[in-house]
Amino acid sequence: MDKRGWTIPLTLALMTLATSAILFISEQATHARIEQQKRQKLLRSLQTIAPPQRYDNDLLGSAEPIFEPEALGHRKPRTWYRGYKNGQLSLVVLPVTTHKGYAGDIRLLVAIDAANGTIIGTKILEHHETPGLGDQIEPRKSDWLLQFIGASLSRPDEKRWKVRKDGGEFDQITGATITPRAVTGAIRDALVYARAHLPQWRKQQPGQAHAPPHADNTETKRTENTP
Amino acid sequence: MNPFIRHRLIDNNAALVQLLGLCPLLAVSNSVVNALGLGLATIFTLTLTNALVSIIRPLTRKEIRISLFVLIIAGVVSALEMVMNAYWHELYLALGIFIPLIVTNCIIMARAESFASKQSLPKAIADGFLTGVGFAMVLVVIGAIREIIGKGTVLDQTDLLFGAWGAALQWRILPDYQGFLIAILPPGAFFVLAILVAIRNKLEHKKRQKTHESS
Repeated sequence: MDKRGWTIPLTLALMTLATSAILFISEQATHARIEQQKRQKLLRSLQTIAPPQRYDNDLLGSAEPIFEPEALGHRKPRTWYRGYKNGQLSLVVLPVTTHKGYAGDIRLLVAIDAANGTIIGTKILEHHETPGLGDQIEPRKSDWLLQFIGASLSRPDEKRWKVRKDGGEFDQITGATITPRAVTGAIRDALVYARAHLPQWRKQQPGQAHAPPHADNTETKRTENTP
Repeated sequence: MNPFIRHRLIDNNAALVQLLGLCPLLAVSNSVVNALGLGLATIFTLTLTNALVSIIRPLTRKEIRISLFVLIIAGVVSALEMVMNAYWHELYLALGIFIPLIVTNCIIMARAESFASKQSLPKAIADGFLTGVGFAMVLVVIGAIREIIGKGTVLDQTDLLFGAWGAALQWRILPDYQGFLIAILPPGAFFVLAILVAIRNKLEHKKRQKTHESS
């Protein structure tokens, strides 16, 4: 092999190393800000789906790790939030992830009335669905997501918790089949999880039975305290 | 107009004449803000990849040039994705998968292979920037046409890109307009692109006839 032959793998290796270094630096430079952006978005999301008059405690401060994250589609530990009004559990906010989206995971927040298990509000946190089709699940693009407000596992019946195409009660989205199906299923999962745990949650008093704070939670609290 | 600039913006426009990069062009041109966001990201990527490809010319052997270009393009797009996620978070979420998909835009590979790898740094940068602008122009024009027909607005949700003052740019042209959904759906992209290509071909044809007559 002539001398030139050696330079080829060497060049490739060096360039790969240089690119990796640049990516590492970019990751380091943007990581904190990306996390902060996500937290601020979460704060705004919580405020839009859980009306402040329905609770009198610090909602973000109530964050706790979910006991069974897998039941809500999470692969990693995630936090949930609970609102109290006059010492009574008034609402819970559960994060749900579905892997059945058209392009990657869809992450939602679902706020559920603790008294009767109806939905107070839902919010899409992250999705990669097709622009113009699947992204109609976003409330600012269509009011599709609003049809879930006031629904519960008895209204409609649990078996009818599907889009119309699948024999259920909920509207679908023109041109998108997979996305509404995934979101409807995810919201149902949140309700099923809440139904299983609500009796136990209602017994706990505010500030009671708090698990050791997750690293995320302390960060969230700090963000909230800054004016 | 300088022929170097005119060639890249009009005569050999990446989208209308070379018909390259149609996947993002058709997919995110459903509103002006999406089109502008992806257009700016493409201009940035194309300028930077052209510059880097030109800089590493001494290292680029014929046998491995494609691998090196792929490495550079993938690296630049990944870095861009992180920066957009950090500083234009809402827009990043709105554009979704199409930010990482800039990597597959064949305009970028085409400019690296056919121009930047053979030219000096300033020329490569100018080429990348102008080709990107030509692409972004078509993207924004298609986005505007589709948004007007589909929703009756222009520059809706511009605050995603420019922050609070962008909201002032929003302009509802047709009040109480129900929207013609097909313009926003994928077929609308094909129709609008086809009409633009047809208009360009017509103009080109006329110009050619004129030069033919005068000569």
